[in-house]
Amino acid sequence: MKKQRFEFFVGLFMALGILSLAILSIRIARNEFSHSGGYEVQAVFTNGNGIRAGSPILIAGVEVGRVKQIALKDYEAQIVLMIQPGVVLQKDAIASIKTKGLIGEKYIEITPGGGEPIAPNGVIRDTEPAMDFEAIISKFVQGNVSKPAQ
Amino acid sequence: MKIVSFALAALMLVAGTAAVRADSPMAEVKATTENILVLLKDPNLQGESKKAERQQLVRAQMEKRFAWDQSARACLGRHWTRRTPEEKTEFTKLFSDFLKETYSDKIATYYNDLDKINYQGEKLIDDYAQVKLVLTTKAKIDHPVEYRMQKNASGDWKVYDVVIEGISLVKNYRDQFDAIIAKSSYEELIQEIKAKHPSAP
Repeated sequence: MKKQRFEFFVGLFMALGILSLAILSIRIARNEFSHSGGYEVQAVFTNGNGIRAGSPILIAGVEVGRVKQIALKDYEAQIVLMIQPGVVLQKDAIASIKTKGLIGEKYIEITPGGGEPIAPNGVIRDTEPAMDFEAIISKFVQGNVSKPAQ
Repeated sequence: MKIVSFALAALMLVAGTAAVRADSPMAEVKATTENILVLLKDPNLQGESKKAERQQLVRAQMEKRFAWDQSARACLGRHWTRRTPEEKTEFTKLFSDFLKETYSDKIATYYNDLDKINYQGEKLIDDYAQVKLVLTTKAKIDHPVEYRMQKNASGDWKVYDVVIEGISLVKNYRDQFDAIIAKSSYEELIQEIKAKHPSAP
C-alpha cells in the first residue's frame, strides 16, 4: 500500500515536471517573459535589417524592452516595440537599428529626445535603418570606376 | 558633414517629375529648390564680387523652408529639458546660426556635383511629413535623401532633419553633443560650437 502511494506521488511529480517544462518552453518561444507589463510603441524603418521579434531595445546600453512584432507595410518594416513600464520615450526620440559588433545580433537603440512623452501605442517618427556597408562600398567602388575623366 | 551639405544642396535643383499637390510638403521643397536655382543662375549674381549678396539671398530662401531653431533643439536631445530658459535661448540662436551658415554657404560648392533629383514621394502623419528623393551625381551615383518636416502654427511645412544614406543630421549631432556633455560639460559644448562658428558672439 505504501509502495503504491509512493509510486503515485513520484508519477504525479514527474507529470507536473513535464507540464512545467512544456509551459516554460512555450513562453520562452513566445518571448513572453520580457513582455510582462509595459506599453507598445510603433516605429517604421525603410529597412528592417534582420530585426526580429524578441530583438532587444536599448537606451545607453541598458535593455528597456523587446521587439514584439515586425511586419511589412507599404514596402517598409513596421515594428512594434514593447517598452518596459516606467521608461519614458519622447516624441522626438530617434530609433536606430544597430549591430553588436560587425556580424553580431541586431538590436534597436533609442536616442532620447527633449520633447513631450509618447503615449502608449504612439509612434516613434524618426528612425534610422542599419548602415548598409555593402551599398556604401559598392558606391565607393562605382564612383571610382565611373568617375568621368577631368 | 560633407554629405549632409551635399544633400541640402539638392534644394537648388529643379528636377523630379512626380506630380505633387499644391502646398504639400514635397511641393514646398520643390518650390524652395526652384527659387534657389533661379538665384544661383542669375547673371547679375555671378562672380566673387557678388558672392556675399548671393549667399544672403540663398540663406533667406532656406530660412523660409528650414526650421533651424527646431533642428537645434532636436540636436540637444534629452539635455534640452535640463537647460535654463536663458541657456535654451542662447543655444538655439548659436547652433541654428551655425547650421544656417554652414549649410547655406556650401550650396554653390556642391551644386556642381549634382546631375538630377528624382522625387520619390511623401508620407504624411498628422503634422509630420517625410519627403523622399534620390540625388544623382554627375558620376551617376545615387544618394537616397529624406527630408523630415513638420507643419508649424502658420500651416507651413518646415524641414527639421535631413537623412542621407540613412544617416540623420539630428542624430549625428545629438550623439556628438551627448558625448561632449558626458565627457566634460554643457559649457564646454558651447565653447566648442563657438570655436567652429567664428561669427558667434
